Amino acid sequence: MSKIVDSFRAWKAGPGSIGLLILGVILGLTFFFSGGSFMVYANSEKFCATSCHEMSFLAEEHKGTIHDTNRTGYRATCNDCHVPHGYVPNYFAKLALFNDYWGHWTGSIDTKEKFEAKRYELAKKVWTYMKSNDSRECRHCHTTAKMDPDKQTTKAKARHEKLRTENLTCVDCHFGIAHTEPEGPGPQELTAAAAGK
Amino acid sequence: MPKRLFAKVRRLVASKSAGVVLLAGFAAGFIALSLFGTSMIYTGTEQFCAQNCHEMANNNTKEYKDTIHDKNRTGVRATCADCHVPHAPVPLYIAKFGALNDLWSHHVTHAVDTPEKFDAQRGHMAERIWTYMKGNDSRECRSCHNEAKMDPEKQSDMAKARHTKAKKEKLTCVDCHYGIAHKVPDGPGPQELEVDKAFISRSAIF
Repeated sequence: MSKIVDSFRAWKAGPGSIGLLILGVILGLTFFFSGGSFMVYANSEKFCATSCHEMSFLAEEHKGTIHDTNRTGYRATCNDCHVPHGYVPNYFAKLALFNDYWGHWTGSIDTKEKFEAKRYELAKKVWTYMKSNDSRECRHCHTTAKMDPDKQTTKAKARHEKLRTENLTCVDCHFGIAHTEPEGPGPQELTAAAAGK
Repeated sequence: MPKRLFAKVRRLVASKSAGVVLLAGFAAGFIALSLFGTSMIYTGTEQFCAQNCHEMANNNTKEYKDTIHDKNRTGVRATCADCHVPHAPVPLYIAKFGALNDLWSHHVTHAVDTPEKFDAQRGHMAERIWTYMKGNDSRECRSCHNEAKMDPEKQSDMAKARHTKAKKEKLTCVDCHYGIAHKVPDGPGPQELEVDKAFISRSAIF
């Protein structure tokens, strides 16, 4: 073993060459390209929704909701709501994938029953996260300044007015819109991490 | 000159250790591709497309304001690049090269630098876009609007009927949905344009 390390040290200290420089450039390009491609692939519906059977429960629920089928066919898939769009938060979110692997291997929600038992806990985690960043992922697509109140219902208009004075965020009212709503207090009752704004 | 530069680089790398040279190459490759990627993203932003030159800012951008793709019930928008820049990698690169034409026009020919000149060219420019969109079966429209995920129950009776008819007549989005974000020029619309639909297939990435 130490022989390999020694010969590596000797090679590393040896003289460089054009070939090595080119090899380095190719490695750098490949590394960035594959990293970037992975980021894109890991956000696709194909990967998120159907790669593991745990997620297929959630994918089933998303089917037919307003973010899946609607008048114009403009959709929001898993990552649009659940993966940050900024570079650095995105990388952190991708690292959290390891948690999903761990859950998959330990079988924490591998049956419908186990999933239902954990549903509230999982929902609470997502709600808390969304409240803490003022529904950042919602706002990535929905630009408040570009909403036309005249196209909204009277009720929606009134409530949107109200929420601004009460310092609420999107997910405080718009929850359980793409997945089954669990029993228990909703996001408005979760005051824990409502720092936001 | 290239020969001398090459010799210089060779002397330089020979004077450094192999590990350092490899690492320097890696960093150069990594940075080059990230700069390239970032420039692709930046040149697709509204800030760059809509505001950077007065040709765009004084004409297309103004017309686009308050149309359905800018302002609507939910605040979900489509900006310049969503409709006018391909989303697949290779067509994207080709489109970015096409922007050289815009630079040429801005700096050399001044083809559309006043609203009057712009209006004079409007028909010609619209025809080009319509031809492109018809040729790839409205690929950019479909990048957001997924036909299979449209709910006919939520559409008006007229829209439902026309969408059914469009399928039968092999029309594409832009055949009817034109002049929705910019002013409609005088003259024949997209349905009157003869386009070879086999020119670019929708799924092609080249």
